[in-house]
Order: sequence, then C-alpha cells, then structure tokens
Amino acid sequence: MLPFFADLITRTDEARREFETNPVVLDAVAHGMPIERYRKLLLELYHLVWHFNPVCAAAASRVPDKLRQVRYFLYEHMHEESGHEQWVMNDLEAVGVRQAALLAHQPALTTLALTGYNYWAADRRDPCSVLGMMYTLEVIASVYGGTFAEAIRSSLLLEGDRGVSFISSHATMDAEHMAELRQVLNTVDDDAAREAIVESTLVNFHHFTRMFEAI
Amino acid sequence: MSAEPSQALVTLMTRPYRYIALEWNDELKALRLRTRVKPIQCYSLAAMGELQRVFTDLSESPGLVKHYVMTSDVPGVFNFGGDLSLFVLLIRARDVESLRMYGRRCVDLIWWMENASTLGIHTTVLVQGDTLGGGLESVMPFHKVVFERSAQAGFPEVLFNLFPGMGAWNFTIRKAGFSVANEMILSGKLYTAEQLYQRQLVDLVVDDGEGEAAVESVMRSVHPRLRGTLAALEARRRAAPITYEGLMEIVGQWVDSAMTLTDRDLRLMERLARAQARKAGGAAEGAVDEIKRIELDSAWGEERGTGITVWGGLGG
Repeated sequence: MLPFFADLITRTDEARREFETNPVVLDAVAHGMPIERYRKLLLELYHLVWHFNPVCAAAASRVPDKLRQVRYFLYEHMHEESGHEQWVMNDLEAVGVRQAALLAHQPALTTLALTGYNYWAADRRDPCSVLGMMYTLEVIASVYGGTFAEAIRSSLLLEGDRGVSFISSHATMDAEHMAELRQVLNTVDDDAAREAIVESTLVNFHHFTRMFEAI
Repeated sequence: MSAEPSQALVTLMTRPYRYIALEWNDELKALRLRTRVKPIQCYSLAAMGELQRVFTDLSESPGLVKHYVMTSDVPGVFNFGGDLSLFVLLIRARDVESLRMYGRRCVDLIWWMENASTLGIHTTVLVQGDTLGGGLESVMPFHKVVFERSAQAGFPEVLFNLFPGMGAWNFTIRKAGFSVANEMILSGKLYTAEQLYQRQLVDLVVDDGEGEAAVESVMRSVHPRLRGTLAALEARRRAAPITYEGLMEIVGQWVDSAMTLTDRDLRLMERLARAQARKAGGAAEGAVDEIKRIELDSAWGEERGTGITVWGGLGG
C-alpha cells in the first residue's frame, strides 16, 4: 500500500503539473516579471500569508485527539510562520509599495476564494484539509521559489535578498518543511481526513494558479 | 482460470483511460497503445498506472493478443522519460520510499515487456520524436524497435549527476554491448535514429511519415511465424538473462544517488522539466534544445563541470 504522501502526490499530480506548466508561471520562473506585476504578486501573497496562521489555528482547534500529532505539527508550524507577513511588507517596501498602500489593497477575487475556501474547509469540511493547503504552498515554494527568486532578482536588478526575502527564504526553509510535512501526512490514517487533504490540495493549486495568472 | 477472450477483450478495450488510447486489429490480434500524457508526455505515476492496468489485463488473458504496438500521440515527442518535477519534489521531501516505489513501478512495466514472449506476444515500438532517459529505457525491451529518421534519443541523466536506473544498463549492454552502454550513459549525448541504428539499439530506421507502414510490415512479416519467432526470442532472453532482482538492485542504487543530488543538480533537473513543459505548451524548442544549452553552459563552467566539453554533433 502506498504511503499517504505518495498517494497524495499521485492523486493531485495533474493539478500540480497544471500549475507548473501554466505559461504565465513558466515565463515568470524563467524570466522574472516586470516590477508592477511583482508588486501585485506580493500584495496578493501578503493576504495569503496573513491568513495562513489563523487558518492553521482554526484547523488545530478542531483536530481530533486521535490525530494529536497533526495538532502539534500545526502548533510548531504556526510558531515558525509567525511574523512572516512582515517579510512580505519589507519586500513590498523595497519595491516601492508603502504600508498605507498595502493596507488599502483589496485582495483579488481568486485570493479571497483561496483564503475563504481554506477557512471553510478547516471549519466545515475536515480540519486536516489544512495539510492540503500547506502541501500546495510548500511544493510551490520549495520547488519553484528558489528559481523564481533568482529570476526576479535578476530581472529587477535587486541586490541580495532585498525585495525577495520572503520568497527566497521560503524556498530554502520549505525544503525542510516538506520533509516534515511528509512525515506527518504519512501518519494520517483516517479516510475522511485523507479525502479532505486531497480535495484541499486540488483547490489550492487551482486557485493559486488562477491568482498567478491574474496578476 | 482466464476469462473468455471475447469478454476479456471487451474489458480491456472499454476501461476508461485518460493518458492512453487503445486500438484493436482483429485480423492480426494486435493491440495498439497510444500514449498522450498530460500535461507532459512522460512517465507520470498516473500514466504508469494505466499502462500497468493494460499489462495486467493482457497477463490475465493469455492468447488474447498476439502483437502489442506502442506509439505516441504527441507530435514530436515519444516520451520525455521520468517525471523530473516529481523527482525534484520527492528528493526535496527526502522521500526515499516513494522514489523507490516509482522505480519499482518502472521496473514492473519493463519486466512485463521482458516477459511478453512468454505470454505469446510480440512487441513493436514506433518512435517518431524525442525520447529521453526513461523514455529510451522503455523502448529497449521491445522485440522490434522502429525509429523515424528525425527522432532523437539519449540518456541525459549524467548532466544532473544521475544515471538512468530503470534498465538502461541491462538492456543497452544486452543489445549493443558494454562499450556502447558506456558511451551513451556516461556521455549524456543525444543520438540520431541513424546513430542508434549503427549501434544496434534500433532495428529499423524509416523516413518520417513511413513509420506506420513499417510497423504494419513488421507485424505482417512476423505473424505467419509468430510461434517460432517468440520461441527464438525466448531463447535469446535466456542466453543473455536479465533478472527482476538485478533491475531492482540498480533502482536501489539510483535512489541512493538521487538522494545525494545537490541543489544545483536539482535546478538543472528543473530546467529540463520546464523545457519539457514549454514543448508541451506548443513551443518549438523543448528538452532536447535545453540539453544542448546545458551542455554548452557546462562546457563554459556556468553551471558545473560535468566533464563533458564537446557537444556530439547530431549528424553522422
């Protein structure tokens, strides 16, 4: 029998590959993007990052005792991610977006749909669905983050991590997170929870791809 | 006890597949399998699952199929081989178990091909486009390998510090000898259909557009003497044996090597994966062109030294 992590990869393979073969994504990873589009991307990312921990907290509060390892995993992850929205704010500042403009920014419909789904799934579907959100974001960060950060740095002539600190550091960090996430996913033995994780992964890849297309 | 052939055929031909299509030739009892893996024509887990389903059906109904033919429905691409972006993901997640599972699934498919003669099935493959790494490995066990002239193939894995681990060594050595296996696998070079024919890895090279007729001709020439041909091929198999255990040992070594890849190696792998995706998206250039660029970059030391400084010309 397949470990659940491998089963998740197999069942969400097409959604993952649709993200990575999307022409807009391919172009951004290869050539970076103009500063205006990068600003828009960071503005949308800010909202995702800002809601990441509350979604995790909502899920953690509902994880049943028999899956306590998932709850502890979420605690640790929330602790690590705490304050990362500030990194996005710093990057925005570096590319010329002031805090006032950020706070006045209305998230795109796809961003609202993505965060809305994640809250709903954690609250109404199954709390373990949050692991699908984490899997999606960590695949994107660990597999594409490093190359994308380099492309942005080079196309916008940024120095060091200035302007790309959030994406660049998550690329490295999330390789570690992916190994930890695999371990915790393989402990989830509840069928309903597994189905919810698969669904959440499909929805997150779908909305993230649309968000990327729209900026 | 096997099912009645007619019922078995109905079952075989009516299963819902997403990444393959089947055609049946009743006169020759020939099954044609066309691959069309989305979004990239490679051996994804899902595509391999469908292939394995077909092979299991054939194994459960001996005598149902006399000829098995494989082709690609994707213009210009036979198969890009392993799912590179999946490899990157699994390596970054340090998921040794899933990598080994991927390798085992590849070997299971190759092992079925290796044993097709014992099921009374003659196998033919038509390659009409690029076939790289695992794509070329998957071609090797066929009884008859037909290439159209513009097709190119090779084992580029060494470019990102890996090697083809699912049968390349075993089948290349069996068909062409040690020196050709060394040359092809250790160089990472791409070869034209003609060059592969000269190295005895390809049985027949035909002009572009004539592959279908060539496959038909192969089947019609083998059909009247099928039992004798298969018996001879079975004897050939015994004369130069390849074992499942031996193939899996190499998979184990491949997994160990994959887990030692550096971030730079993985980025090269990602470059190739993105090039495959560009080609899948309709771009003129694809993985083959990217391999050439990686070769040049390597020669100039921009990526890393592979020890390869000469790009083997594709002509002659």
